[in-house]
Amino acid sequence: MPRSEPLGVVVRALLSHYWRHPWQAVFLLVGLLAGVALWSAVQIINSHARASYAEADFVLGAQATHWIRSRSGAGVRQADYIAFRRAGFRQVFPVVQARVSTADNAPLAIIATDLLALPTGMAGDGGDALGSANLDWLAFVQPPYQAWFPASVADELGVAEGQQLTLRDGRRLPPAVLAAREQQGRQIFMDVGAALTLLGRDTFTALAVGPVSPEVAARLTAALPAELMLEANQQRLDLTQLTASLHTQLTAMSLLSFAVGLFIVFNAVRFSLWYRRPTLRTLRLVGVSVRALALAIVAETLVWSVLGSALGLLAGWGISHALLPSVSASLQNLYGAVVGADLLLDPATIAIAWGMTLVGLAFALAWPLLLQLRGPALPGGSASAGVLADARARRVLLIGAGVLLLLAAAVYWQMNSVIEGFALLALLLFAAAWALPQALASAHRLLGCALAGAPLVQRWIVSDGWAQLPALRTAMMALLLALTANLGVETLVGSFRTALAGWLDQRIGADIYVNSAQLDTRGFVADPANAGWLAAGHARTGVTIRWQGRPTKVYGLDTTTPDTYALPLAQAAPDALTRWSSGERLILANEQAHYLGGLRLGQTVMLPTDGGPTNYTVAGFFHDYGNPYYQFYLPREEVARRWHDVSSTGLALWLKAGVSAETAEAALVAAGAQPGEWFAQGDIKRLSMKIFDRTFAMTAAMNTLTLLVAGAALLTALLAILHERLPEFAQWRALGVTRRELLRVIAVPLALFVTLTWLAAIPLGALLSWLLIHDLNVMSFGWSMPMLWSPLPALKLGLLSAGIVVLVLAIVLSQLTRKLPQAMAQLGSAQ
Amino acid sequence: MLSFSGVVKRYAQPEGEVTVLAGVDLDIVAGEAVALLGESGSGKSTLLHLAAGLDTPDVGRIAVGGHALAAMDDRALAALRRGTVSLVFQQFHLIGTLSVADNIRFQAALCGRLDPAFEAELIERLGLRTQLDKYPHQLSGGQQQRVAIARALLHRPALVLADEPTGNLDERSSGAVMALFRDLVKAAGSALLMVTHSRDMADYLDRRLWLREGRLHDAPI
Repeated sequence: MPRSEPLGVVVRALLSHYWRHPWQAVFLLVGLLAGVALWSAVQIINSHARASYAEADFVLGAQATHWIRSRSGAGVRQADYIAFRRAGFRQVFPVVQARVSTADNAPLAIIATDLLALPTGMAGDGGDALGSANLDWLAFVQPPYQAWFPASVADELGVAEGQQLTLRDGRRLPPAVLAAREQQGRQIFMDVGAALTLLGRDTFTALAVGPVSPEVAARLTAALPAELMLEANQQRLDLTQLTASLHTQLTAMSLLSFAVGLFIVFNAVRFSLWYRRPTLRTLRLVGVSVRALALAIVAETLVWSVLGSALGLLAGWGISHALLPSVSASLQNLYGAVVGADLLLDPATIAIAWGMTLVGLAFALAWPLLLQLRGPALPGGSASAGVLADARARRVLLIGAGVLLLLAAAVYWQMNSVIEGFALLALLLFAAAWALPQALASAHRLLGCALAGAPLVQRWIVSDGWAQLPALRTAMMALLLALTANLGVETLVGSFRTALAGWLDQRIGADIYVNSAQLDTRGFVADPANAGWLAAGHARTGVTIRWQGRPTKVYGLDTTTPDTYALPLAQAAPDALTRWSSGERLILANEQAHYLGGLRLGQTVMLPTDGGPTNYTVAGFFHDYGNPYYQFYLPREEVARRWHDVSSTGLALWLKAGVSAETAEAALVAAGAQPGEWFAQGDIKRLSMKIFDRTFAMTAAMNTLTLLVAGAALLTALLAILHERLPEFAQWRALGVTRRELLRVIAVPLALFVTLTWLAAIPLGALLSWLLIHDLNVMSFGWSMPMLWSPLPALKLGLLSAGIVVLVLAIVLSQLTRKLPQAMAQLGSAQ
Repeated sequence: MLSFSGVVKRYAQPEGEVTVLAGVDLDIVAGEAVALLGESGSGKSTLLHLAAGLDTPDVGRIAVGGHALAAMDDRALAALRRGTVSLVFQQFHLIGTLSVADNIRFQAALCGRLDPAFEAELIERLGLRTQLDKYPHQLSGGQQQRVAIARALLHRPALVLADEPTGNLDERSSGAVMALFRDLVKAAGSALLMVTHSRDMADYLDRRLWLREGRLHDAPI
């Protein structure tokens, strides 16, 4: 054989195996596909979401180095803007931003500016950036104006050129113009005059400041009226920071799916190598070196990695489209971030997917390859030899599990970031998975001892578990990971849902909630005309400040209303509410300020007020689920004293017994509120729970997919057992074993292992949920909640696992029925 | 005990249909030991599979103990194989997860015909007394074949079908195991049809038949 030939010959000899055993090729691809698909789907969504955040600022935000905002959050008056321009600050331009919903409830972001006011060098660029080189600027700035739609958004909403999109409240956008490029994200771009008219506002959201020298920035600061402030553009940073935890969580779940997929790959590679043992030995006998053999297997790995990652990315592309609405809902509900529907598969994701597949395959191949190169040490041809090899493998895995546990303990000791938290979870999950085979073997041995006096056939059926364990080992580990993750996350979501419902019951205690710009809320409550039906009213006020670099709301509460004196506090100093309401310069903060902002009870917090920095002592922390921002509560009088431009932030109304909602609504209309500006208590709770369920729909989808991947692992393992042991099964049938007994031999050990795995997953799931609730969730979102353990998710998963086992057994039985007669006819022939 | 009447068996091959058995007639009476000889590919194993109900003939009638196999469904065939017919193959196919003692008792336990006295005799004569608590992978090839023989005979089947039972053993071991096998079959009161390509092994039995060109002959050419 010429020196250049062996590798090609060896690769061809090795790959020819898959022509004869196409199922093994399918198993391998299913594993790779399952692993890569979910991971890449999440990567596609994550990178797309991050791009959307960047795009959200691209048009105006990214080009603005600073923002001029109102300290009160009330917006910037047009007169102030004109004053800046007249003072020669040509870099200042107005921005209006708003979120609206279409008639079909699809979220849209509106961004508007005065294109003609953009600083020199930005107007043309900005226009080009919008793909607007061919757009009619004159029509853009004049009534009836234009609404520039990104093409993908227009397509998604079914908006044609020139069409006026109707919003949920009946307002209509200016005629649509489709922008050729997508840089504006999901934002509808329009002239600032059009936006103010559409939104019924007379103030800008902020003034953006183009690139300026430090001197100009200093002059600007000096020229600022008292109620305005200049701040560096941190908006993009905010959104990226805020959403980082959610993206980390999604990535962690996708990596778990990748790991579960790898278990299938490991199984498939192990069996394909095991099947090809005679071929490998023959090749070595005819003079192929171990090195050439190893190179051939590396070449094969490359082939599979390319095929697997390509198919996985293709499937991931499809899954990402299916999951995007759920993720968009989560991002919109949690952070107000709007993510578009135009997904892109970037080269980095492709490269990483291929790299991960390659590494995963190398990992799955490394062990059996090492054993193969060391000699005939792979599981032998008999079940007994397989049992011996399995015992060795179990011991190695158990030692590995011990090492992982030690590492987990080390991480837990120093854990202070979300990524470290997920590293801890991964270490614990894999330690449990690696320890599982030995636990199953020990439990199986105990069962064998307990059945020592049972009839032989029963002992035989149970003892066959020893022959199945080597093949089922990896599938059971995958199942344990999937079940544990499902239980942990379900308990987290269930606990969160219960906590949220309880919190809403406590916090949403009033009958009607009003949010109206036209209503004088304090006057309404004090009006004697309303005394006949109004039991109590709480007119809240608030200002927006920046604290620790983030927008932070300071609310002024009426200390005498039912919701204030019953305010549930997660942590509080003694008599916190009484002392806080009596004006002792105490402040209440949300949990986010505690867990993410680092505030402690009794600590002094300095807030920027209109009279200069003011210190308050933290008296307590309140739950504030779903809010990504810091928030403070002060008595209403204190807020009015410290800040000049305080705005109304809503009104809560308690009705007297027997008073109908219509009475209150009539009074609200008479006082200037518009229909649609108030909500009944029940509506708010229902909406909140609906938003919650939408937010966590993605989690449920990921859970289901992970479980399906584990089911696929189980199926591949059982089919491998079937193919491997078909001659043995045929021999048993020849001894008079009935088909039913044969099915029991396959099913009983499987059911036993699945049951034990499920039982192991229950405490592990509880541990996982405990860590998710008490550590990860707090570090990610700053929310704490009591863990609520319910047996229902475990029972549901048990039934689901049983269903998967029945389905898998049905497939195996059909294969068995098809293949057994041929195997029986070949008994005694050269095997 | 076993009868074949005009049995024909054909197989489809890429080059066309091949007739392996072209009208086989055979009668084996209770307690009779018959050796079936023939060249490789002559159809010996096919004939054995048909006798065990593992395969079905295209033409002809096969009966075991007077019962036609064609009339039996899968359940009845399984019952036949577990109680009436025993098979011994070149591959021992012991159950790796059961001890030697349990492997010996396996088929008798399946058909509920455990016989401690005969079991003790089989174990004694097959020299397995010290091996009972071991597992198959701890035995040599010869020992494993003895276990397979004990398993096949313990429930005293009416018919034993053996396919090269000593094919995996060396010449010296083969002779000893064969003699023992024949004696034990006799002791169990079973009829025996044994496929072999070895004239020496065939000489241990009562009658020899040659399968050639799909038909049985009483003598070699």
